[in-house]
Amino acid sequence: MTETIVFIIAGTLAATVPLLFAAIGELVAEKSGMLNLGVEGMMATGAAAGFVAVTLTGSHAAGFATGAGAGALLSLVYAVLTTLFLANQVAAGLAIGILGLGVSAAIGKRYEGTTVDALPKLDFGPLSDLPLIGRAFFDHDIMVYAVIAAAIATGIVLTKTRLGLVIRAVGESPHSAHALGYPVIAIRAACVLFGGAMAGIGGAYLSTAYTPLWAEGMVAGRGWIVVALIVFGSWMIGRIAFGAYLFGAVSLLELSIQGLGVNVPSQLLSASPYLITIIVLAVISRNPALIRLNSPMSLGESFRASR
Amino acid sequence: MTLAIKKLVRLATMGALALGVAGAASADTLKIGFLYPSPIGDTGWAFELDQGRKAVEEAFGDKVETFFVENVPEGPDAARILNQMAAQGAGMIMAGSFGYMNDGLKLAGQKQDITFIHASGYKTLPNFGNFQTRNYESAYIAGMAAGFVTKSKTLGVVAAYPIPEVVGIINTFTLGAQRTNPDITTKVVWLNSWFNPSKAQESARSLIAQQADVIFSLYQDTPSVVTVAEEEGVYVVNTSSDMKKYAPNHLLASMTIDWGPHFTSQVQATLDGNFKGTAYWGGMADGAVGVASLSSDLTADQVAALTSVMDEIKAGTFHPMTGPITDQDGTEKLADGVAIEDGAMLGINWLVAGVETRIPQ
Repeated sequence: MTETIVFIIAGTLAATVPLLFAAIGELVAEKSGMLNLGVEGMMATGAAAGFVAVTLTGSHAAGFATGAGAGALLSLVYAVLTTLFLANQVAAGLAIGILGLGVSAAIGKRYEGTTVDALPKLDFGPLSDLPLIGRAFFDHDIMVYAVIAAAIATGIVLTKTRLGLVIRAVGESPHSAHALGYPVIAIRAACVLFGGAMAGIGGAYLSTAYTPLWAEGMVAGRGWIVVALIVFGSWMIGRIAFGAYLFGAVSLLELSIQGLGVNVPSQLLSASPYLITIIVLAVISRNPALIRLNSPMSLGESFRASR
Repeated sequence: MTLAIKKLVRLATMGALALGVAGAASADTLKIGFLYPSPIGDTGWAFELDQGRKAVEEAFGDKVETFFVENVPEGPDAARILNQMAAQGAGMIMAGSFGYMNDGLKLAGQKQDITFIHASGYKTLPNFGNFQTRNYESAYIAGMAAGFVTKSKTLGVVAAYPIPEVVGIINTFTLGAQRTNPDITTKVVWLNSWFNPSKAQESARSLIAQQADVIFSLYQDTPSVVTVAEEEGVYVVNTSSDMKKYAPNHLLASMTIDWGPHFTSQVQATLDGNFKGTAYWGGMADGAVGVASLSSDLTADQVAALTSVMDEIKAGTFHPMTGPITDQDGTEKLADGVAIEDGAMLGINWLVAGVETRIPQ
């Protein structure tokens, strides 16, 4: 039993990394008013590009950098379409989502089914040797901790700094921000690129650390979960992170329950992470005023600097 | 809109590829088209089908010309590509996925000069045969090996969906293990997904956390589970391809499939003009399934035990599902000495005693 608990805690910390990286990026993009539904495609592209980079160079740093670059490049297509050509954000996001899946297949074609060495685990010395706790919390690669730091940093930047204020202002009312002299299009594009890069890092983590192999379609819907987490977490980083960890934990709990031989239909168990995460987040986010306060008013709207 | 464009691009490229092939062919060679449902890659289902294609090329040389289209989704795309293959003068088509069945049958009805072989279906025509393998035979041998090496007496299976073929394999795997180690329990995690390598890895880890020390990667097309086992230091058995290179120290056995003999015989029949649309269910006796890369941790005696049972299966003197066998509820399903019939095996929907996990109802 303790083994199973250790498995769930340790597994949750790792399983959540790709989701949370992508969610941080998507949150920043959405806070600036850009609804980019192409997360799945950006993650897939980042996963493929990152995997190829690690295969060729053997360096995980290069893998994450390449994944981030690939995700950002794909999101650039979205940014150009929506900010310069004023394309519908939903349609453009879906388009690059599909494009990204195709691009990832093309990038990874020659590497289908191959593996790389996983990202090495950090050594915390005596902490890693602690019974149970050591294996649950201190037996992970660097990204498991980096994503927590990134979430905290993003929360601070968005709520406590001038930069965050500007991003939020652009997302609330791009026209007001424009009138104040802020370069709305540049800020929005930068937020979208940040979102793409983070999704790319999340994807690269999936293909080079969490499941260190490339197989077409391996992102398997995680990008859509990210999009849902932002909404159900009412655009607050704490709730989004909580939702992501909850989702990871329930997913692993589901597998453990199956192995224990409890007689619950496995289809119901397979649906449980989605159900439980949505229900819990919906319950804690039931205050409509708070949602209105946090959801970017101009989300999904194109901005044209007129007059 | 984008979907339509994607399809157009895909069809255009496929057309160009296939036309190029068709243009190069001379009149008296047999053109054989192969359809795969997934990318060929390095290992797994499509890879093994493609090995079968290569065996055909090797066996017939200039007399045949093969071409393939990989990653073809079941449904309208498959129908179009089948028709295109026919239009390019294919004399034989290998349809490599269950879901190609109805489109293939339709085309076979229209083009009776083309012969078809189809993976894992259940319908036939005079020019449309199907093929599958008795993987439950190799699973029994792998199970025996698992029984030899397990210390916790707990085996873990990572499986996709509880379809009869998978259920049958879990049964013989467990029965084989119980033959060499009577108190075996088997835990199963159903992924409820055909393809999710990360979830497969998580499932393997959850089984290892529950004391399973032999993991069975059942129809996982990627080496995901195999690499986890190597990392965690537990034994692993896998299906379809030899995955020794992904777990050099902890691969207990790979259950392999070899389509070469069957494909070759069907091509020969087509060339000779005596093709009959048969339902082929190849086992160890036909060389269609086998066990490869047995771990060097097995002793010589243990390997000899495995080999002698393999010989009995090949000779037809032993069926892995031979009674007395009771199901999970303790009901006797097969009486002492009675072997299961093929029809019952094809539709099997109960798990043997010793498997802890239930089939989801």
